[in-house]
Amino acid sequence: MSRAVKNYVDGEWVESGATDFFPVHDPATCELLANCPDSTAEDVDVAVRSAKAAFDEWRSTPVLVRAQYMHHFKVMVEDNFEKVSQIVVREHGKTMDEARGEVRRGIESIDFAMSVPVLMRSDGLEDISSGIDETTVRQPAGVFAAITPFNFPFMVPLWFLPTAITCGNTFILKPSPQTPLATEFLFEMLDELDLPEGVVSLVNGGVPSATALMEHPDVTGVSFVGSSAVAQIIYETCTRNGKRVQAQGGAKNYIAVMPDADIEASVKNILGAAYGCAGQRCLAAAVAVGVGDAYEQLKDELAAQVAALKVGYGLDETTQMGTVISDAAVGRIESMIGQSEGEGAEVVVDGRDFNVSGYEKGSWVGPTLIADVQPNTVMATEEVFGPVLSLMKADDFDEAVDIINQSRYGNAASIFTSNGKHAREFKYSVNAGNIGVNIGVAAPSASFPFGGQKDSFFGDLHGQGMDSIEFYTERKIVIERWV
Amino acid sequence: MASLNTFGAVFTFAIELEAQLSAYYGGIGDSAMAKAADKRRKKLERVRRENVVEITLEPIAGLDADDYALDLSDGSPDGQAAAARIAARFYRDAAPKINVRAAQRALERCGKEHGG
Repeated sequence: MSRAVKNYVDGEWVESGATDFFPVHDPATCELLANCPDSTAEDVDVAVRSAKAAFDEWRSTPVLVRAQYMHHFKVMVEDNFEKVSQIVVREHGKTMDEARGEVRRGIESIDFAMSVPVLMRSDGLEDISSGIDETTVRQPAGVFAAITPFNFPFMVPLWFLPTAITCGNTFILKPSPQTPLATEFLFEMLDELDLPEGVVSLVNGGVPSATALMEHPDVTGVSFVGSSAVAQIIYETCTRNGKRVQAQGGAKNYIAVMPDADIEASVKNILGAAYGCAGQRCLAAAVAVGVGDAYEQLKDELAAQVAALKVGYGLDETTQMGTVISDAAVGRIESMIGQSEGEGAEVVVDGRDFNVSGYEKGSWVGPTLIADVQPNTVMATEEVFGPVLSLMKADDFDEAVDIINQSRYGNAASIFTSNGKHAREFKYSVNAGNIGVNIGVAAPSASFPFGGQKDSFFGDLHGQGMDSIEFYTERKIVIERWV
Repeated sequence: MASLNTFGAVFTFAIELEAQLSAYYGGIGDSAMAKAADKRRKKLERVRRENVVEITLEPIAGLDADDYALDLSDGSPDGQAAAARIAARFYRDAAPKINVRAAQRALERCGKEHGG
């Protein structure tokens, strides 16, 4: 039997009390890498009690000292950059470049946390009345938790953990049981930092541990990234239990391509946006809307280039697209392609029944291009979370915007154009939280909040940027009079 | 590795090229050149780490590793000049393929150091 991943609680690696385990496979080779425990409510309770006990001392640790831990943490991640990237490739199936890019963006979030001593400062005003001064202070709020997805196993936890603890909170992470190994290594580095016991904890598992975190009375707030259906459950459960919550859900990201766009450059970028991470990211381009003459050009250019993408094992540097996460994902994606075909769409490049020589047991779906997708069909409305790009036609800019705004999701949308007026109108009128202009993956850097509207986000304060400072702190007003 | 079709493939090839050159120069007793190649290798590792931009990763076309194979069996001045020429040509061809300016600049600089 392969080794079982441990939890990290109260400054120590501990075995979960779980009786059930999730197998963790390399999705390209099918090799069993580890078993992830389905931790229990009791496991969570021990972690929360440790985090709560650590809070008072940690919040009174000077903020510059807390930030200094992040400096050391960053150095450790840089020193282990290639190792972490390889772990991500092996448990997720993405390419080395994608894994390196993920780790880089994780480091950006550590960089952001180093700014907490500046960002936590507040303001004040003298003489709001005669001899009376009023100030605000930001204080850490307690024990926070994050429930994170499989698709960015190293980066997404870092959207939350560094800022949360540098603000003076204590923190519990529950990563996806499909990809627990990058976070295991992340905690090995945190362990080397010698943080006080209980400041950071890792509880591996699925629904029981997530539910226990959401229902535990001593957890102040929960961050979540995953599907919309689960995000809604997380939001409702957390609010019912009186917690702060930020729940980032799924997406159906549209890209409008105008006739005035540089088609060659646009297609190059759209390839990365649609097929990067095999389409398994909440900012993946899902539908390209070709406006007017752009449609046929886009279709022809994409058809040639999509078919030429090199699919293979992520550890091979020349691989341009890796696997999807599991055989179950293969089945779901292939079924959706079939449904789309049944609805009358044209499967221009078909990634079904795909295989890679030497990796026949892998979870492969080839890059897929579907044309003539109609509104209200599966490819126009449902999140695929796989390497499938759909094409839709619009007669003009206004129709393209109408198509985009019909989506129940609002994570991201992009426009490719050389016309500033169209770009401006797009930014102004499209209902999505992250807008790209001539860039297909509108991913905010760590100092900006990660947008999301409609069914793509449940909550008030987003992850990252100043929103995260708001989320992880309590503002207190102090009114003083000395006589 | 044949086609250098990704950001990582280009940089990993460059890193391996400099590692080979460092060993080559070391083997023929030119410690200054060996040290310079090793310095470039380390710089390229840092550039690969710090300049990979996840949101603009795009396929790369038109670069093939086989076009830049070094003959490291010839330690003569002519052999050294030939190796430098191949390295310079690689950097000259690779730099425009990279869409991150800082990374592109690093490749250009390496090319110049090889006399390109």
